[in-house]
Amino acid sequence: MFRCLFIAAIAVWLATSARAQLPAAYAAPQATSQDARNVLTVVGPALIQIKGFFGANTAQAFHGTGFAVAAGGIFVTNYHVVAERVQHPDKYRLEYRNVDGETGAITVLAVDVRHDLALVRASNYAPASLQLQTSPGAKGERAYSVGYPLDVGLTITEGISNGKVDDSFEPRIHYSGAINAGMSGGPALNGAAEVIGVNVAGYRFEQLVSFLVPVEHVLALRDRSVAPQSDDSLKQEVAAQMHAHSGDLFRALEGPIPTQRVSGYALPGKVAPFIDCNASGSPATEDPVQVVRVNCFAKAGLYLQQGLFSGDLRYAHYILTTEKLDAWRFAARLSGLTHAVGNYGLPRHVGPYACEDRVVGLKGFDAAVLVCARAYRKFVGLYDLTVRVSSLNGLQSGFASHLDIYGVEFNPGMAFTRRYVEAMEWKP
Amino acid sequence: MSVEAILIEIVDGHGRMQLCQRLRLTEISRKLTIGRSIHADVILDDPYAAGLHAAIEVMPDGRVVASDLGSVNGVVVAGKRYHGVRELDLPDNTLQVGRTRLRVRTAREALDPERPDQLRPAYLLQQPAWIAGVAATACMLQTIYATWLGAPRDLVAAVVTALGLSVAVIAAWVSFWGLLSRVMRGEWRWARHAAIILSVVAAFTALRGAVDLGWFALALPPWSHRSTWLAAVALGCALFLHLTSASPLTRGRAAQIALLIPLMIAAGNQWLQERSQRRNVNYIGEAVRIYPPMLRLSASNTVSDYFGHSAALQQAADGRLASALANEAADDK
Repeated sequence: MFRCLFIAAIAVWLATSARAQLPAAYAAPQATSQDARNVLTVVGPALIQIKGFFGANTAQAFHGTGFAVAAGGIFVTNYHVVAERVQHPDKYRLEYRNVDGETGAITVLAVDVRHDLALVRASNYAPASLQLQTSPGAKGERAYSVGYPLDVGLTITEGISNGKVDDSFEPRIHYSGAINAGMSGGPALNGAAEVIGVNVAGYRFEQLVSFLVPVEHVLALRDRSVAPQSDDSLKQEVAAQMHAHSGDLFRALEGPIPTQRVSGYALPGKVAPFIDCNASGSPATEDPVQVVRVNCFAKAGLYLQQGLFSGDLRYAHYILTTEKLDAWRFAARLSGLTHAVGNYGLPRHVGPYACEDRVVGLKGFDAAVLVCARAYRKFVGLYDLTVRVSSLNGLQSGFASHLDIYGVEFNPGMAFTRRYVEAMEWKP
Repeated sequence: MSVEAILIEIVDGHGRMQLCQRLRLTEISRKLTIGRSIHADVILDDPYAAGLHAAIEVMPDGRVVASDLGSVNGVVVAGKRYHGVRELDLPDNTLQVGRTRLRVRTAREALDPERPDQLRPAYLLQQPAWIAGVAATACMLQTIYATWLGAPRDLVAAVVTALGLSVAVIAAWVSFWGLLSRVMRGEWRWARHAAIILSVVAAFTALRGAVDLGWFALALPPWSHRSTWLAAVALGCALFLHLTSASPLTRGRAAQIALLIPLMIAAGNQWLQERSQRRNVNYIGEAVRIYPPMLRLSASNTVSDYFGHSAALQQAADGRLASALANEAADDK
């Protein structure tokens, strides 16, 4: 009893002392639950839950959210919500369910794979459209995300809009709030119930780091076309957008490749602002070989269908040095890194690799260079490229560099590969 | 009255003489009795033989015949048991009484000519035990080198483990062939089988290392099945030597087996690997063995030369996809 009273007294003291330290101009926020209720009341009728079914099953295979953006039952959702239907129209069908529990069929009208958006039409349900706001607002403004997470019913979460993500290849808004599976395609709104973005992704094992697609891409898609397309033309549209994405990716990577020097080797560094690099190594010295690892990711990948992310690029360098091993044992240790598999694909998406393996003279040193390519099955003209470069010059230092490029056009991909290899240099 | 000598040999399962008894036949008495009784001419220590079990007789024309003297077990001639038989021909002059095998030799049998024996100095290295010892030392050094090359944290423990595993595998292999020798030829021949497998393993390991080194030095195009075929050659050599040592097979027949089995294993292995690699969309080849740079002998390619073949690489990738699709279509049928 005394302990409870003591804790309560401490809590009251902390609350009063914190209030006393606030600046005089600070206005206490209004009750936020009222705002959330207002937003939900406004947007609720404009939302639908989109469900996908495999074959004639009545149990759903996947689900997401959509919201009205134009008259005539036109809704926006994420491409990844309807991707299986687009890629396998003979296997999957789509249905909607509105807030009143009414159901009906869904037709996919247009897709924007690069921004993960899709325009769909709901049969016999045409609510008023939501207001779209192209400005995400200043960092720190309150925002709400609405959708059907985990199929538990219409849900609103509250968070903070942190504006557009810096150095992102595809534009995204950073939303500090919960977005869970099933809310994909739902709207993110400001306090005035205006849509500022579309729920698209969140880190599952992080805390409230989520992302929205900016509204201007919704406007572009809405204004593009509302005429129904055939299943084949939708697939062709996806392929065409992948080709365009590939072109944009390599245009963004043009220019001289910056290098970083590690143990006498100049190796490709952060090639573009949107590429994230991190480096690590073991400070412990009991291992006879010291390894420095440099990993770089473009994070430009696009979701195409289940098990297939594409249009991305990543590379890694493993720089080995030793003071304890002789040249024989050091060379043997380096051998283990020459052909490491890194670019995992599924047989239903890609063909087997074809490879070219030779010793090539680079700047100041010779290296074993392996370049492999494999073709995509359904996206004609797209390839995965895998490159492995292993130095052959060092007695007690050497490196293996791994470059993996996913779902790109062959010639631009090989041109980048060549520049990547040519950038390497031995400068003791 | 002419006297004829006859030799009764007791032989083992492999036809080798264990005991022999020289007896005389006269024109009056050309028959000999066999049994456990003291009254028998040839006395056996065999509980499955009767006191007077059988009789053998050399006919005037030189044929040797056998008769059963009313025994329980009869006589076995050419793998067949006869009861109460009289004057049964012995095709190869052998018969079994009880569980004892006997061979009858007469003076009328032609002898094989004497084999020439060329006197050769008995080098130590021509003796199986010494060969096995030298090869075992070579294998041990190779195992230690391979373990040392991996630069393990605890070299001694790694070497002991590797040697222990190697000894276990070699011992199992030698045991198998020793057992086969014992069954087929009546001798274990441990040293000879150990010498064979250890010599082949040492030679194979050395050859594989030399080939890997040569491949690196000359920068030859990758051939992922070279280890498989080298192993097939080694297996063929080992099989030939083991078979000629452990079995009564002729050299020609042993060579056929030693050629056929490794060929089938290597070809099957290559077929399975290639099939698996064709279907594995993530396979980019086997790791290249790297050696110190001073061992490289070949010139390197230029970057322009290397990337000048990129169109061919694209065609190859398209071709592999087309091939995979064709294989799937064939599988569906």
